[in-house]
Amino acid sequence: MDQWLDKHMGRLFLAPAVVLILVFSIFPLVASLILAFSRIRFSGGGFRMRFAGWRNFDKQFFGSEQFHLLGTFGPLSIIAWIVGITATAALIWWMYRYCKTHFTVFGFVGRLITFSMAICLVWLFAGTLLSGRAFGTVGTTLFYVVIGCGIQFVIGTALAFACSQHIAGSRTFRVVFFVPMMITPIGVGYIFRMMADTTKGPFSGVWQWVGLGNWSWATDPWAARIFIIIADSWQWIPFVFIMMLAAFESVPKDLNEAADIDGAGKWMTFREIIWPQVLPIAATVMLIRVIEAFKIVDLPNIMTSGGPGIATESVSLQSYYAWRSLDLGSASAIAYILLFITVVICVSFFNLVVLARVRAKP
Amino acid sequence: MKPSLFQPRKIGEMAPASKIVLYAILLSWALFVIFPIYWLLITSVKTPAAVNEGPFFIPWVDFQPSLHAWQDLFVDDFADTFRAYANSIIISLIATGLSVLVGSMAAYSLSRIEFAPNLITILYFVALLVGACVAVGVYGANLWLTLAVVVAMFFLLARAVGRLYTVRLKNGDILFWIISQRILAPIVVVVPIYMMFQSVRMLDTHLAIILTYAVINLPIVVWLMYDFFNSIPRDLEESAQLDGATMIMTFREIVLPLSRTGLAATTLLVMIFSWNEYLFALFLSTTKAQTLPILVAAMNAGERGILWWTMSVAIIIMIIPVVALAVVLQKYISKGLLVGAVKG
Amino acid sequence: MNAPAVDMKASAKGISIQAMNKFYGGFHALKDLTLDVAPGEFLVLLGPSGCGKSTALRMIAGLESISTGTLTIGDQDATHVLPKYRDIAMVFQSYALYPHKTVGENIGFPLKVAKMPKPEMDATILAAAEQVELEELLDRLPSQLSGGQRQRVALARAIVRRPSVFLMDEPLSNLDAKLRGNMRAELKHMQNTLGITTVYVTHDQIEAMTLAHRVAIMKDGELQQLGTPKEVYSDPANLFVAGFMGSPPMNFVSGAIENGTFTGPGVSLPSNGIGDQTDVTLGFRPEDCTVVPTGAGHLDAQIFTLEMTGDQSLVTFRTGENSMVVKMPKDFDAMPGSDAGIAFDAASACFFDNATGQRLRSSG
Repeated sequence: MDQWLDKHMGRLFLAPAVVLILVFSIFPLVASLILAFSRIRFSGGGFRMRFAGWRNFDKQFFGSEQFHLLGTFGPLSIIAWIVGITATAALIWWMYRYCKTHFTVFGFVGRLITFSMAICLVWLFAGTLLSGRAFGTVGTTLFYVVIGCGIQFVIGTALAFACSQHIAGSRTFRVVFFVPMMITPIGVGYIFRMMADTTKGPFSGVWQWVGLGNWSWATDPWAARIFIIIADSWQWIPFVFIMMLAAFESVPKDLNEAADIDGAGKWMTFREIIWPQVLPIAATVMLIRVIEAFKIVDLPNIMTSGGPGIATESVSLQSYYAWRSLDLGSASAIAYILLFITVVICVSFFNLVVLARVRAKP
Repeated sequence: MKPSLFQPRKIGEMAPASKIVLYAILLSWALFVIFPIYWLLITSVKTPAAVNEGPFFIPWVDFQPSLHAWQDLFVDDFADTFRAYANSIIISLIATGLSVLVGSMAAYSLSRIEFAPNLITILYFVALLVGACVAVGVYGANLWLTLAVVVAMFFLLARAVGRLYTVRLKNGDILFWIISQRILAPIVVVVPIYMMFQSVRMLDTHLAIILTYAVINLPIVVWLMYDFFNSIPRDLEESAQLDGATMIMTFREIVLPLSRTGLAATTLLVMIFSWNEYLFALFLSTTKAQTLPILVAAMNAGERGILWWTMSVAIIIMIIPVVALAVVLQKYISKGLLVGAVKG
Repeated sequence: MNAPAVDMKASAKGISIQAMNKFYGGFHALKDLTLDVAPGEFLVLLGPSGCGKSTALRMIAGLESISTGTLTIGDQDATHVLPKYRDIAMVFQSYALYPHKTVGENIGFPLKVAKMPKPEMDATILAAAEQVELEELLDRLPSQLSGGQRQRVALARAIVRRPSVFLMDEPLSNLDAKLRGNMRAELKHMQNTLGITTVYVTHDQIEAMTLAHRVAIMKDGELQQLGTPKEVYSDPANLFVAGFMGSPPMNFVSGAIENGTFTGPGVSLPSNGIGDQTDVTLGFRPEDCTVVPTGAGHLDAQIFTLEMTGDQSLVTFRTGENSMVVKMPKDFDAMPGSDAGIAFDAASACFFDNATGQRLRSSG
């Protein structure tokens, strides 16, 4: 018995985690997939499921919910044509170059998936927003991910670099900058609703002064989206900050000093010495942020309830609303669409950016 | 010659001009961070009139502070507030403990022992799982009977199937599988989890929320602790092993005490995520197991619009414990993340 | 205090290794090692880094699995036995002290694992600490100790459990030179009094020569020679052993043997009864030769440098690509750049087959 325990203890250590994930992650994932292909009818206390084929997905992509998920398509404008064709050409050139230089079947298939996703998103973008129509929840979510994460990354990194300098009081700044990450997203949502109130909020004087006293963030689609990004950034810049600070501080001091002695200036030192060292970490931090950003649901729910219209609704929120109206099939289908987009983008990012950086580092 | 404003006075220092710019940036960001929190604090001591009649900034100067909102929440609605608070504490503490324990055990085992699960066996298992779900969900088969059949089929045929094609996974694959669970948006799994707990009549119980929180945070724990354990020299454990210590004893006596910084950072992160989690709590709790975020969100639903003053109090009492914890443990966070995340 | 020592002598076990191999994927780290260690013996595994000596030690400990072959400790087959059941103690190069435990707790950890009652445990810890003169420091943390003290703690932790086999992986390499000398003497004394079978890994030949009953010299995962320190020094089995042992190492000159005479560049001497062969290396130790005037010795060369080490002078010669060192008394003096001869005791010269590296011995 003792000997057996000793031999198998490693498995026993791993087993609880695997079982928990199987029950609470893999099983729900499978069940969700089945729901996505079913029609659910509630009757009395229980419910009945019937196989529905692609109907749930069909509705989202081509049917009555198309405007909601993807947006309203109009005839392509000139800008849309230009952007779409340029981007497509660039992507084809990228694929062509890959095939010419180092072709492997596995890498090709992976890049083909990335390529297809990118093409779809480019034409989605061109067909809706650039043609003067509204985009749907996919566009909104991508807006949060790309613009939000971009802003958070730039500001967070800049603050981290500033705090990694030897200045008095940097410890205090660290603690203060870290605080927003602790606050529940619900709280952040309500706090920023107070902040943004143009009549009773702290900045109402400013709004009055520029003549927007009776205007509300929540009525203009783009203002509402930016409003949510500001709140999201307020909460998540601390995360980028703390990780990048750790990264900057892990760069050995003697490298800096060597560069100093070689006569390199501040900017030169940063670009040539520090940045290459923290780049792999930066890529990882960005990946984590992107993964989390795709899940955004509480802020739009609290701050704007997805409004005006569907302007600030994320895919997660759309799925939640579908669940609330007891349309479980659609809710699961939408969730799976989100999962698919997230996985393709995150895995592409991981393979093409994070791993490339890690590999490049000797 | 006096050095200009743009030249440093001493070696290793910055020039006065760049110092001023740096401080200006840091201070303005600090202001941006602090001001919303300040506004939250003063709103909590405002009367409804002081909130509604336009912006007032400084207590005792602009407006007369009052503790009526605090009284509302702590005296009049004490039972609700207290219950949500206690629920939040119980749930996040136990979920964090469970998650950190299970996760670091898994991470330790992955960092020290080589596993080689058979890919085909795993695919076979997933196929059985899908089949079972379809049978139960779509064709209405008996749940327990199906489970029994699946388990029996798996153990009977696992070896035979495994021999068909021997592609073995490595530890890195298992690690990636666990960590990749984090990509899963909660919305994808929350409906089946809701239905699962409904079927065993566990909705609105602490246990349901605790288990769910423990699992959604497992990837973070495994990911951070795996790198942390890898940074501990093997000699120590080998020595303990030669002295006759079992894996449990080595883990408890040697590994865990040496990972204190990593554990502190991980625990804090998981604690924050559990404390603030909203979506799962929204699905899984109604009254008995209601947590603070739900209590706060529910204040939106009054007939008189949002009671900003009460809402502020609720948010403040919700923030205080985590902020206090974070300020105390701040140095562990950067240290812990440095070894864990930043290296990986 | 002598009681445990007697106990241990009785419980010392021999180790028998038969055709042990280790593969890491396609890499053959240990090749067919066969070795017997007598009960109570001090055996040193010696070799350059990467020669497989540490791998061999870790396989004896059970920290690495044995790919093929068998391992017997005492009279029990231990090939696939988990480390904890092998009754061995090991001292690591890094000492592997638990940084969060005090000296006393470190020493007592093996006893704690064995669930020894507290009063008995304290007494045993104290006894072990006294043996290495640490009794004053039991409450300190390892970070508060000097390198030598840490080394002692590691030793005390190894002896406290009275194992039947002692394994040491370069235990002295982290100490400074002076301390290393002291600890070497103490180790030897302790092993003598306790009489525990010890396998000791090092890359330092002085340690090997001074400590070992027998030395096993390894290279590229292969055992080169096994013998007493005197044997491996004065009677090397092959070129590698000859070149590895001794400081400075043996001098080599290549040439050929014809008609019972070795001839190389500027050298010719009788081959001590070794048959004719073309590709031969002659080896002789620096201390077995002297510097003589040109033409008076076995070979002539130009003096390259002269180094004073205090107790002697090392004279380096260059001829073509060869360089040779001669140990001379400390008052020896010569001009670098001048020519001189080297004379040596022809009986102590060794010959090696250049192709295989093996020692050539007279067939008679």
